[in-house]
Amino acid sequence: MKKVISLLSLLVLIPGGSLLFADPSSSSSLIDQAEAVRKEAAALEYEWRDTAKLISSAKESLEKGQKEESDKLASEALRQGREAVAQAKFMEKNWQSMIPRK
Amino acid sequence: MKKTIQRRLLSAAVAVMTVMVSKTTHAVNYQALVDADTRVFQSYYQKEFPDVKFDDFANGVYAIDEDARKQWMEMEEFPPYELDVERGKALFNKPFANGKSLASCFPNGGAVRGKYPYFDEKRGKVVTLEMAINDCLVENGEKALPWKKGDLARISAYIAFISRGQVVDVKVNSAAAYKAYLKGKQFFYAKRGQFNMSCAGCHMEYSGRNLRAEIVSPALGQTTHFPVFRSKWGEIGTLHRRYAGCSENIGAKPFEAQSEEYRNLEYFQTVMSKGLKFNGPASRK
Repeated sequence: MKKVISLLSLLVLIPGGSLLFADPSSSSSLIDQAEAVRKEAAALEYEWRDTAKLISSAKESLEKGQKEESDKLASEALRQGREAVAQAKFMEKNWQSMIPRK
Repeated sequence: MKKTIQRRLLSAAVAVMTVMVSKTTHAVNYQALVDADTRVFQSYYQKEFPDVKFDDFANGVYAIDEDARKQWMEMEEFPPYELDVERGKALFNKPFANGKSLASCFPNGGAVRGKYPYFDEKRGKVVTLEMAINDCLVENGEKALPWKKGDLARISAYIAFISRGQVVDVKVNSAAAYKAYLKGKQFFYAKRGQFNMSCAGCHMEYSGRNLRAEIVSPALGQTTHFPVFRSKWGEIGTLHRRYAGCSENIGAKPFEAQSEEYRNLEYFQTVMSKGLKFNGPASRK
């Protein structure tokens, strides 16, 4: 039993070990996910106008201890980022069908 | 076995020769591809607005909105960009520290609007008038000017003013130029941003219709009259400033002025306006 506790303590203390216990729905994780998707959309040249602002606001809220508000903002940023990436991928394949004809 | 190998080698050699010959004798005519696009594009507007004369599309929304046109013509009697053109002229002729001036970079006394944008084969990119102005400044040891407004827009306005009447005829003569053109074309038609809208969605499908209080201008001719003095801005600004505003309006993050994305878009849009006359600077609401 002591060995198990020591091993678990070690895992928490070593760099990266804490990730094993990270809650994917935690505020900082949501912000990181939103930022990663925002960057993906930006690389595809389809970033939306407000996504970065939402992420900044989510970070500020988290710093102030307003976890609920931070999660709400980060979730919206994450949704925007995902939709922007989906939009980019769809348009890459289908933009020619968007040409209006008369 | 030996004969089979010989036959295969012969077939391969013939295939290689065929490709080489077809590459030299049937080179892709990019200009013809682009001209075909241009005909379809211009025909769209001529069908949508059968009473508008082709040359009038250079006047943007004022070609299709009679009431706004009357106000605009009154405004043009004392054009709000007049002082900007004067300032632009002074800047154009102002000597650099090395004794040269912008006039040293631009032939024909600076009446060069019709040359831009063009695809620079050596640099592998579209060069706009504003970019050429800043290139000239930097090459001569001067500081580059901000892209969207101020003195760069004024110098651009002066060059546009003394170039009025030059006909739009942008060439697309190489694979690299065609690639830039296609990127601009894709940008124009692809929907983006929070509102899932495209340049074409507003300025083709909705042109002539009301969007809030404004009638949406046709895309044909949009690039002929920049830079513009916009009442909303209260000052003169460049085409890329307007592009950034459009991006914001549809909920997309704007690109930097003179980014590759906006330069390619300007290239595509100017190609589409073939045959119209450059008539900048202009005043807009």
